[in-house]
Amino acid sequence: MFLIRTIDFTAAGREIVRDRVLGQTRLTVGRAAENDIHLPDLAVEQHHVGIDLAADGTLAVKSLGTLGFGLDGRIVTEGVIDPRTGGEVALGAARLAVTREADGNIAITIRQVVADEGKIDALRGFALASKLPGKRAMSWVFASAIILLLLALPVASHLLRTPAKPDPTGKTPGTVLMDSAWTSGELSLKHHTLADNCESCHVAAFESVQDETCLSCHKDIGDHAQKPRLAKGMAPLSQGDALQWMIAEGFGKEGPLGCVACHSEHEGPVRTQAGSEAFCGDCHKDLDARLTDTALGNAHDFGKTHPQFRPLYFASFGAAKPVRASVGSVPVERSGLVFPHDVHMNPRGGAARMAVSLAQYRAPLECKDCHVATPDKVTFKPVEMEEACEACHSLVSGRTAGGGLSKLRHGSVKNLAEDLARITSGPRPALVPGRQRPGQIGSASPAYRADFGRPVRSYIGFSNALTAGGVCTECHLPTRGPTGQADLMPVNFPDRFLTGGYFSHAAHAKQRCSDCHAADTSKAASDLLMPDLKSCRDCHLGAAAVKTAKIVPSDCAMCHAYHLPSGQWSPKGPTPHYKPPPPDKSRVAAKLAQARP
Amino acid sequence: MATKAVGKAGAKTGGTGRFSQDERRRDSDHVSFLKHRGFRWLWIALLLSGASIAGYLLIDQEPRSNGGTWYGYTLGTIGFGLILWLSLLGVRKRRINPGAWSLKAWTSAHVYLGLALAVVGTLHTGFQIGWNVHTLAYVLMLLVIITGIYGVIVYATLPASLSANRKEMTRAQMLDALTALDRQLESAAQPLARGEADLVIAALKQDVFHGGVLARLTGRYPRCATAIAMVCLDGGSEAEKRVEALLVKRHAQLQQIRGALRIRAMLEIWLFVHIPLTVALIAALTAHVISVFYYW
Repeated sequence: MFLIRTIDFTAAGREIVRDRVLGQTRLTVGRAAENDIHLPDLAVEQHHVGIDLAADGTLAVKSLGTLGFGLDGRIVTEGVIDPRTGGEVALGAARLAVTREADGNIAITIRQVVADEGKIDALRGFALASKLPGKRAMSWVFASAIILLLLALPVASHLLRTPAKPDPTGKTPGTVLMDSAWTSGELSLKHHTLADNCESCHVAAFESVQDETCLSCHKDIGDHAQKPRLAKGMAPLSQGDALQWMIAEGFGKEGPLGCVACHSEHEGPVRTQAGSEAFCGDCHKDLDARLTDTALGNAHDFGKTHPQFRPLYFASFGAAKPVRASVGSVPVERSGLVFPHDVHMNPRGGAARMAVSLAQYRAPLECKDCHVATPDKVTFKPVEMEEACEACHSLVSGRTAGGGLSKLRHGSVKNLAEDLARITSGPRPALVPGRQRPGQIGSASPAYRADFGRPVRSYIGFSNALTAGGVCTECHLPTRGPTGQADLMPVNFPDRFLTGGYFSHAAHAKQRCSDCHAADTSKAASDLLMPDLKSCRDCHLGAAAVKTAKIVPSDCAMCHAYHLPSGQWSPKGPTPHYKPPPPDKSRVAAKLAQARP
Repeated sequence: MATKAVGKAGAKTGGTGRFSQDERRRDSDHVSFLKHRGFRWLWIALLLSGASIAGYLLIDQEPRSNGGTWYGYTLGTIGFGLILWLSLLGVRKRRINPGAWSLKAWTSAHVYLGLALAVVGTLHTGFQIGWNVHTLAYVLMLLVIITGIYGVIVYATLPASLSANRKEMTRAQMLDALTALDRQLESAAQPLARGEADLVIAALKQDVFHGGVLARLTGRYPRCATAIAMVCLDGGSEAEKRVEALLVKRHAQLQQIRGALRIRAMLEIWLFVHIPLTVALIAALTAHVISVFYYW
């Protein structure tokens, strides 16, 4: 039994329910009036659907024509409804709800639905956009946040700021907000304290870091050479580099000779590395081809191409300035001294025997007895007569009233004259007590007494000491002053012999001095005992050489620094990491000037 | 046989006959944008990446590789141009105009050149990463590229499962089916007591599209009222059994809808990252370029 319940609405919206009972097992649904369920709807076929009650109580719904029908929302042409769970058939605007009544009858409730206008809107719910903020809104938020925070804020504060001073101590932070987000990498170790003060280097907007900014702190830095000569001698740039510099210089960058071209910053917390052999060789391997008037020889590999050393020396007595040895010549040094190294260094010679007998030495003389290295171990302190020579070459002149020994002062001819005059006019030493015996005079020497012309017992004049055979000429060369008076040659040595490079004696402590300096066979002070290139190459070859127990691969920076060729670059240690040599003024015996009246 | 062979040969050699022209058009219509013109843009992208890598390895950059060497600037300029051009796809696809501009070619180039951009951009960094605007731009670029790769993959794989999930139902039909079940539930639940009726009301009242993005992507809806009602109704009386059966049907229908939602969400989610991050990238790129030259 089917219970057909039709629900309609009046114009006023009141519900009209009509029930009728059909006692059959098959129902037809359609637009035609003879159907069991008549639906006056153009979307419905004349005979649209047949509904058959099967023996098991289910309903078989089947299209009678070619058009399907909606069954629980799905368009089908046939289907089965179990009235116990129910189902809904859609035909046009009509919805036929199938349910089972408590009495076992099958109720079919027919309702008209209004066309759903919100359906298209409802479909939008399928899109993910319904659950997320719009792409456009998100884009605006992200983009504006980035532009405001990372661009507008730093730029605005840069334009409106009072510039902060560069402060290497790192105590003054910069005044530009958020510009730390602009850093392209950590600063080098030496500049790390400036990390919070970008303005100390980046002074003006859109202007590359200028040399003058670097030089405002690095005032004492040396120039490798004058800019025009650097530019002329520079190796040609690669095409890529040339193009980059052309563009960069168009925007105000200072070119490949500016500080920042080599001293690239923001490369991480590292020390500036010394230039490689290739870096130096780029220009120096064929420098004379571009810088035709250069005095420098070409160099690129110490083992293969390096000019012979040209030590600085005084080529004539009393010269105002030292000269550099010319390649291939044997320099004759005119230091003004008489000093045969071989006599002093011979371990069996008289000097050695004398030294053995002296409490001060107790052994044959060694280099270090006279030559004391400077603290940087690059060069040696000037030999002081009083320290190095006087133990043997005594200047004792007699006894003082107090019982001590009187000495001639060393270093000034004027003093010598005074001292000699005093001896001549002063009180003679008492004969008693004790007669003067050989060996009493002189520092601790029982065996040697200087022959200074016996100033005491015989009246020996000033000129006796200064002329050949006199006490001074044991070590000094006699000469005549401008007015013809007896005088001595000024002693002249340059501060450094090799001025174009840096040599650490400390690094060569395992070597003996005579391995490089042929002092033990030198018979005269005129021998310039500087080693030559060949002797260095016994151990030092170019950077490409294979390291062995003996061979040390040596790049240019081992001996040369860029900003001052004779300065030392070192990878560690206190600032400055290059060591400028003392000002190059040769000591033209300043004491001599005092000695001259 | 002879004519067939001739016809085939004509089509292959690009004959001028109407048939072969149509064949070629149809072929090209159905060729994926990935395979466009025999992977033309793939080869161009490989060439660009290969050349960039070779240049990076062969050209000695002092003191170390970064964006500020001439090669770094070159890569940066290429990358900058690529980013701007790639982002114009959104403009291009909205311009439906005739001309030699094939949208498929654009899309193909967009995908492959976008992949090459990862190589160019990475080399431009010189592998220097930090907490700064430059790395921000780089990371945004990588995120955009990664979401783009995801997008290509889901576009290639998911549409098939989307239609499988639909079982020949349109989205509207799925909603209709749910409405039909809801109407039945409404009447079937009439005999229920207050508590049970409230469960049914909660299930009916809950929005079909209830749940957030995460629920959509995972397909897990822990607070689904239909599922809760299914569990709580223990089917004592005839009416309850009926309601429960309807709830099961409703849940099954919801599952189908949610399956569709999940696939659709997976198809669409990447664009919600890809597009805003592209715009963010262009902003970061602007800040990157300006800041680099501002503090030159």
